[in-house]
Amino acid sequence: MEKATEKWASKVNQLIIGATQKEGGTRNSVIKVGGATTLPFLHFEGVIPNSPVIAMEVWDMEPPDWPAVLKEPFGDVLGDPVEWAKKCVNEYGADFLCLRLASTHPDTKNNSPEEAATTVKKVLEVVSVPLMIIGCNQAEKDTEVIPAVSEAARGENCLVGIAVEANYKTITAACQSDGHSIIAESPIDINLAKQLNILISDMSFPPEKIIMHPATGALGYGLEYTYSIMERSRLAALQGDKMMSMPMVNFVGQEVWRAKEAKASEQEVPEWGPIASRGPLWEVTTAVSYLQAGADILVMCHPKAIDSVKKVIEELMKKE
Amino acid sequence: MALTGLEIYKHLPKTNCKKCGFPTCLAFAMALAGKKTSLDKCPDITEEAKLALESASQPPMATVTMGVGENQVEVGGETVLFRHEKTFYHPCAIGITLSDSLEKEKIIERIEKVNKLKFERVGMFLQVNLIAISNESNNPDKFCDAVKSATEKSNLPLILISNNPQALEAGLKICSERKPLIYSAKEDNREAMVDLAKKYSCPLVIYGKNLEELDSLSQKVVASGVKDVVLDPGTRSLGGSVQDFTQLRRLALKRGYRPFGYPVITFVNGSDPYQEVSMAATFVAKYANIVVLDRIEPEEILPLVTLRQNIYTDPQKPIMVEPKLYEVGTPNENSPLLVTTNFSLTFFTVQPEIEASKVPSYLLIVEAEGLSVLTAWAAEKFTPEGIAEAMKKAEVEKKLSHKKIIIPGYVAVMKAKLEDESGWEVLVGPKEGSGIPKYLKGTWQ
Amino acid sequence: MEKCKIIFYPWKKEVTVPSGTDLLTAAIRAGVNIYNSCGGEGVCGRCKVIVRKGEVITEPTGRLSAKEKKKGYVLACRTTCKGRMEIEVPPESRLEGLEILTEEAKAKRLVGLYTPAEEVEKGPEVALERVFTHGPLSTKLYLEPSPPTLEDNVGDLERVYREIRKGREIPIMQMGLANIKKLSKLLRDSSWKVTATLGNRNETTEVVLIEPGDTTNKNYGVAVDVGTTTIVAYLVNLRERQVLGAKACYNPQVDFGEDVISRIIFAQEKDRLEKLHHVVIDAINNLILGMVMEHNLTLNDINGVACAGNTTMIHLLLRVPPEYLRKEPYVSTAGFMPVIRAAEVGIKINPRGLLCCIPGVSSYVGGDITAGVLASGLDDLSTPGLFIDLGTNGEVVLGNKDWLVCCSTSAGPCFEGGGIKWGIRAMKGAIQRVEINPSKDKVNLCTIGKGKPKGICGAGLVDCVAELMKSGRLNRAGKLISESSKRIREGEDGWEFLLVESKKSLVDQDIVITETDIKNLIHSKGAIYSGTEVLLKRVGLSFQDLEQVFVAGGLGTALDVEKAIMIGLLPDLPPEKFTFIGNSAIAGTRMCLLSHEAMRKAEKIAGKMTYVDLSTEPEFMNNYTASLFLPHTDINLFPSVKKLIG
Repeated sequence: MEKATEKWASKVNQLIIGATQKEGGTRNSVIKVGGATTLPFLHFEGVIPNSPVIAMEVWDMEPPDWPAVLKEPFGDVLGDPVEWAKKCVNEYGADFLCLRLASTHPDTKNNSPEEAATTVKKVLEVVSVPLMIIGCNQAEKDTEVIPAVSEAARGENCLVGIAVEANYKTITAACQSDGHSIIAESPIDINLAKQLNILISDMSFPPEKIIMHPATGALGYGLEYTYSIMERSRLAALQGDKMMSMPMVNFVGQEVWRAKEAKASEQEVPEWGPIASRGPLWEVTTAVSYLQAGADILVMCHPKAIDSVKKVIEELMKKE
Repeated sequence: MALTGLEIYKHLPKTNCKKCGFPTCLAFAMALAGKKTSLDKCPDITEEAKLALESASQPPMATVTMGVGENQVEVGGETVLFRHEKTFYHPCAIGITLSDSLEKEKIIERIEKVNKLKFERVGMFLQVNLIAISNESNNPDKFCDAVKSATEKSNLPLILISNNPQALEAGLKICSERKPLIYSAKEDNREAMVDLAKKYSCPLVIYGKNLEELDSLSQKVVASGVKDVVLDPGTRSLGGSVQDFTQLRRLALKRGYRPFGYPVITFVNGSDPYQEVSMAATFVAKYANIVVLDRIEPEEILPLVTLRQNIYTDPQKPIMVEPKLYEVGTPNENSPLLVTTNFSLTFFTVQPEIEASKVPSYLLIVEAEGLSVLTAWAAEKFTPEGIAEAMKKAEVEKKLSHKKIIIPGYVAVMKAKLEDESGWEVLVGPKEGSGIPKYLKGTWQ
Repeated sequence: MEKCKIIFYPWKKEVTVPSGTDLLTAAIRAGVNIYNSCGGEGVCGRCKVIVRKGEVITEPTGRLSAKEKKKGYVLACRTTCKGRMEIEVPPESRLEGLEILTEEAKAKRLVGLYTPAEEVEKGPEVALERVFTHGPLSTKLYLEPSPPTLEDNVGDLERVYREIRKGREIPIMQMGLANIKKLSKLLRDSSWKVTATLGNRNETTEVVLIEPGDTTNKNYGVAVDVGTTTIVAYLVNLRERQVLGAKACYNPQVDFGEDVISRIIFAQEKDRLEKLHHVVIDAINNLILGMVMEHNLTLNDINGVACAGNTTMIHLLLRVPPEYLRKEPYVSTAGFMPVIRAAEVGIKINPRGLLCCIPGVSSYVGGDITAGVLASGLDDLSTPGLFIDLGTNGEVVLGNKDWLVCCSTSAGPCFEGGGIKWGIRAMKGAIQRVEINPSKDKVNLCTIGKGKPKGICGAGLVDCVAELMKSGRLNRAGKLISESSKRIREGEDGWEFLLVESKKSLVDQDIVITETDIKNLIHSKGAIYSGTEVLLKRVGLSFQDLEQVFVAGGLGTALDVEKAIMIGLLPDLPPEKFTFIGNSAIAGTRMCLLSHEAMRKAEKIAGKMTYVDLSTEPEFMNNYTASLFLPHTDINLFPSVKKLIG
């Protein structure tokens, strides 16, 4: 019996997030993602130079819809992005943060691009880990906010998003002039994902600085669609499709903590078990599934879940 | 390995006689290639062709059945490495361990708890499938007691785990008609285990501490006449197991390596429920056909059975969103009401456009078998009757103070009929999603 | 009831209708064809007319601009009449171009919808290679049976049969009672010199008619292609195997819906099937009558009609309810319609003349495609070839002499101008060639008939999009790049590219291509390309395996291959592999009319063609979304385009 090893033609792009002083930024560390020459965790047939990473979510306002079980670990820092970021790094050991500028959404506080930029600057001052910065996921408002925050974080080599078909031009231009990488999101369709990568690259943006977000479905809420698109994307990358060779990100926390299974109380559904561990387990299960599909970055919320998934990644990176 | 429609067609009589129930020989050949019919439907096939086609259609991985009747579990029979290539056929079975060294009451308590691990999701019942009784006591009597309790208190198929053939035989005497899975044939007890499997016609697990050992054992066991085989390549780190399971699956499917052409079983255990659930989830995704774990709490099992349901959903069915009334933004009783089909791409086109319009709206998604507006309308799956019914079901009249509904421009022709059916005023919206913001901001107001 | 009189300009056609009738209905009564694609629902905004005189009651509509409203524009279908009135139908609302076509027809140069590409007599080149034994639908034989004697006393009918069978192998023969009743007297009155007309009714030979004397030099037939949008008819001398003339007109059913599905739904309501049936029969009768008169024939000289059409068209032609065609599992009443007497459906030729329909394959692949394949010779190839019909249904056939698979891609009406803001069918004034000079930001156009443009046809649209791409004015997602040209601006329907300034257009308005138009074209070309991909995949072949590609349809002969490849409509194969065969449906129908052998061949083609329903093909959606890009998401499928756009 001879081992069944595939000979892949190409590999996933490697991407660095964050810039140290030497590279013109102020980060103490950088994050490397991608670069694998094989499918997830198949060490026997290729090199996986970087393990998948977890970015911990920090919001610029108190999240209006988080259940108590998710708010509890953060206590009183929830309204304060600076303290929240510090807590993530100092207390929960986060080495990568995702700053979500939810307050800029017209339906929440409708904060201005300038206010958002100030928040970004402050967070960059108090923590020295690399940063992912995303707007409020409203394409039109993001076209105003992202250029401002991108400029505020100039030189820090952040991962900025989220660019969608409706606003990619503005966001690409901002990332390009301020030296950031970009998140390109498309609605669970591999062709749309590739098309957006092409459109962004056609603006002379380097394809190696794109991260794909194939839209994330929470466990039980369309996970399988994203899962298969990610498997197909990863196969395409390894087979040499340059426009599909981008590392992938999943916004696991954002989706999981909207799911009924993570939020409904014991009183509502006693047969589902205690809420204290049910939500984090939902987040963990969603995250480990995406690891198998080829996720390079997982954006997560609950410290306990993050801790568990880190251990899983460690185990998966063992070669034997 | 798998033949294409044209390759199969070459072997058929090419008479287009229609006796097989297909309009042409090629249609029949394509259905055969897609495994949607069987060769015996062709009355005029030559023996020669039959032989050629049957050997090509032999499945690369055997399907193994445990249990009988309603709770019978089938595993294996997979044909692809990735679900998008076709689909996974037999959902990974999830088993719960039961040690015979527990007190009798504890055993019953545990079985009853397992029985309660049933959940309903999107109209399907999800549950654990197997009880794995292990002879930890090393005492055949205690093993028999546990087997008895399990057969009395539960209908689930069993896995009988012991290194002791006598204990296993004692257990088999009690429950062999329920076709349990015997665990396991190892290098040192192979012959005794093979005899048991043959004598009681039960499937047998082959355990090898690594792939090489498993390979040689599998060849021996199969040679001695056991056909229903499950493979256990032993436990190692999570990363190591994923790689081994991938090897087993690839060798079976892509290389047609017969000794590995069987389903795979694995046991997970960990001190921490998070780690144990993580491991089990990983194996559901990557290539275990049976996962056995110690965990028994609903919050631990629910994510696993849900993941299994997700992974084993047929990806070739159209992607649909749940048909119901969606809120885009925070609509009130004066907000517009739009309607479209439950095809996910339609939904994901329309919904962001409404959002972009900044006009909070209701979006009524109607069941149309996941077809886009025009296709669904053409095939009579998006009809005035269907929309009117969905409006009633969603109780739109309670949510809105007006009685106006906006239909996609492509189905303008159903305006009058829908007005009759619903009694609402029907407005014709734009044909394309891109026209929605302008429509909502302009025409609607 | 109060009546009102309406005059439609510029034709000055008059009609009197009850007050309160809508103008669209009135126009139809007056024989004025007004553009309208929604069936009079006030949705499409195509039926714009100008009220010159008189009072109207018109519903408010968003389909007219303020400027138009000021000028007195109303939508005909949303406006009711009162008293005496004068209505002007502006050029953009006119369904016309027929005069032009018939002029060309006089020159016997009508193949396809408008292109003067080849002589009608010759037919498309590929068809020429297929020679079938002469054996028309209707044959005339001059007979001089010997009069009966006391010895030779067989009956008159048997005597005629005996005479016909001399030297001919005709196993089954029959004659209707109407003819038999007249037979004895007729034979004797004409001194035993008669002409028998034999008709092929499937496997039976019918003595359709017995006439006195020798009329064998008057044996004509008509081949008809009943398209969803256009009807084309050839007048054929059945004895000399010659096409004498051709005529085309719009399918008047267009007034009741632009696509087959709308018409099927329309037909479901009371009396409407009748209506659809009658308008199409009237149109065919007009075409036949016109040709008969031009060639100094009489309707009695026309002994047979062969028809091809998609399955819905044939159902409507024969007044067979089409209802189940669109319902799962999409089954037709009959694929192989029997040969009937043309008079049974109201076609006015010789009352005893026959009507045969070319057999279809499925609900969505009809006899027009069977005829097209027959004409192309696809079913004679030894290596796989492809047949693409660029029409509303966008049928694709793949195969060779051993096997054939086909699908219908529902490409949509955009190749014929439907769903395009300034789209018109390929008629006089339609832009069919576009060239963009990028450095001067100038557009060079070529219109059919060389006059001022009044709209753009499918071929022009393909050209335009390819040119926009090539000149860097359009990105691969089909979005106009606003900073690339002064001609790109935001219009009332979003971003648009200015093609013709109002002063240079026939309609006194700017002719533009909108992003929505481009999107529609992308959807249509994507449907055809991905449908083809799925067919290839089903049989395990790739584009590279194709030896020949036949492109048929009204747009075909005017299509620039390179530009069609550029936008991803046709696969990126060497140009010599493509053959444009124009209206192949009529070519194949003519063959069937002239040759029993060809008809048998058509039956064989329809019988062996395997229909693939794309809606049940799991990969289709994925291939389809991949093709909704210019030229395709996977540029490697289009190496020649990749070279061009980098």
